[in-house]
Amino acid sequence: MRTTRQAARKTPLQESDERLLVEAAKSDPAKFGVLYEMQFERVYAFISNRVRDRAIAEDLTSEVFYKALANLAAYEWREVPFAAWLLRIAANAVIDRGKRAARELPVSEDQLRSVKAELRVVEDRARLFRLVGQLPEAQRQVVHMRFVEQLSIREVAARLAKTDGAIKQLQLRALQRLRAQMGGGYV
Amino acid sequence: MSKRSLANQLDDVVQAMLTLLQPRPEEKRHSDLAALVRVAQVLRELPREEFRAALKTELHRRTAMNKGTGQAPASEAPSDAVPYIRPGLTSVTPYVVTYRAAEFLQFLKDAFGGVERLSVPAQDGSIVHAEVQIGNGTIELADANQQFPSSPTDIHLYVDDADATFAHALEAGATSIFSPTDEHPSGDRWGAIKDPFGNNWYIATPRGWTPGPEGIRSVQPYLHLRGADKMIPFMEAAFGAEPLGVHKSPEGRVLHATVRIGNATLEMDEAHGEFQPKSCHLHVYVPDADTIYERALHAGATSIEIPQTKPYGDRSAGVKDPFGNTWFIATYIGVK
Repeated sequence: MRTTRQAARKTPLQESDERLLVEAAKSDPAKFGVLYEMQFERVYAFISNRVRDRAIAEDLTSEVFYKALANLAAYEWREVPFAAWLLRIAANAVIDRGKRAARELPVSEDQLRSVKAELRVVEDRARLFRLVGQLPEAQRQVVHMRFVEQLSIREVAARLAKTDGAIKQLQLRALQRLRAQMGGGYV
Repeated sequence: MSKRSLANQLDDVVQAMLTLLQPRPEEKRHSDLAALVRVAQVLRELPREEFRAALKTELHRRTAMNKGTGQAPASEAPSDAVPYIRPGLTSVTPYVVTYRAAEFLQFLKDAFGGVERLSVPAQDGSIVHAEVQIGNGTIELADANQQFPSSPTDIHLYVDDADATFAHALEAGATSIFSPTDEHPSGDRWGAIKDPFGNNWYIATPRGWTPGPEGIRSVQPYLHLRGADKMIPFMEAAFGAEPLGVHKSPEGRVLHATVRIGNATLEMDEAHGEFQPKSCHLHVYVPDADTIYERALHAGATSIEIPQTKPYGDRSAGVKDPFGNTWFIATYIGVK
C-alpha cells in the first residue's frame, strides 16, 4: 500500500504543471482535453465506487466534466486543488441523483469528510484503471472483453481465435501483473 | 485430489462474480487467489474505452463550438444550426478512409489551411475519427482497416484564390492534374490536383455563377459514375435529394450535375478519361436515420450496418449504393 499512496501524492512539479494546464484551459478551452485525460479515471473511479450501475456512472461522469468545462473560468486554484474540485462536483452529482425526487440539499460537512476518507480507495481504483491501458495488448483485450463486455471465456476465445486455456492464462497474467504493479497488496 | 491450476481457479471465481453466482468450492485454494480476486472485483467497474473516447469527443466538440464560454464561433452562423445535424457539419460530408491518416490530416492543414477540429486516436496511435474544417466545410477522415479499406475520393473545393491554394497543395506534396485555368466549362478559375493519398481535388474560385442564399459550400463531394443518370433518381428516392442543375449530352450522358441534400450539395458526372469511379464514403445527416435507411434499401442500396444508437450521440446506419459508394446515414441526437 505504501507504494500506492506515495504514487498518489503529487510532487510540487506535477502540481505546478497541473496549475499551468488549468490556467491554459481557462484561457483556451480547447486545452481542456489534457485535463480530461489526466482526471478521467479519478472521476470515474470516484463515481463508480458509489454508483455500481455502469450507465448511471457514465451519465454522472459526463455531467461532471460538462459542468467543469462550463465553470472552469470561475475555478480558483487557491481555494482547492483541481482534482478535489472535480470530485466535489462529482459528489454533488451523485447526491443530486439520489435526491432528485426530494428537495435538493447542499453537501454537508459530514459528507465532505466522507469524501476525503474515500480518496485513498478512489486513487487506487483510478490507478488500476490506468494500468489496464498499459497492459500488453492481448492481456488488455482479454480484460476488457471479460470485465467490461462480460463475455464468457469461450466467447473471448472465439473472438481472439485462441483456445479457452490460452484466454484463462492471459486473464491470469493480466491480473498478476496488475496486482504486482499495484504494489503487491491491493486493498 | 490434486490442486487445480491457478488460472482455472481464478476463472471460476471471475465467472461467478460476473454472473452473480457462487464459485465452486475449492478444496485446495492457491495462496495467490484471494489477492487476484480483489483486483478482479475492482475490474468489474473498469470504464468502457468507447465511453472514455466518446466523452472526450463530446467535450472537444463543446470546446470547439465554444459552448464552455457561451460564445458562438465566428465561422459558424447560428442560422446554420439544424437539430438533426451534428454541430459543425452539414447534410453531406465526405469521409476519407485512408492509410497514413495522420499524414493526410497534416496535408489538409498544409495544403488547404485546414483546421483540426477533432482527432480521436486509437491505442495504437492510428486515427479512429478526425474532422478538419476547410472554409465553411468539413472533411472527416479515419485510418483504413480491414472493414473499411483505403478509399480515395474526389472533392470539389471552392476557395477565394484557386491559384494560391493550388500552389500550396503542390508544396504540400500534391501533383498537378490541371494547372489553374479560366478555360474550364464552368467558367470558374479552375485547377485540379492529386494528393499523395490518391484523392483528387478540384480547386475552384467561382466566376461564372452566383451562389444561392446559403452561399458556397467550400467542400463538395464529386462523384464520377458509370451511369450517372441513374444515380440522380436513386438519391431522390433514398435521400429526398433535389437536382439543382443537370447538364446532359445529346446522348443523355451526364456532363455535370449538382444535387442538393438538406443544406448541402454534391456534384457528379459520367466517368471519363482519368476521372473514373471510386468507392467513396459519404456521411449524410437526415432527420430520421431509420426511415432513410429503409428508403435507401428500397431504392436499391444494400445494408452494411443496421440503424444503431452510437455512444457519441448519433443514430447511425450504413448502406452501399448500387454504384459502390458507402453512405453513413446519421441523425444527431446528442449525448444524453
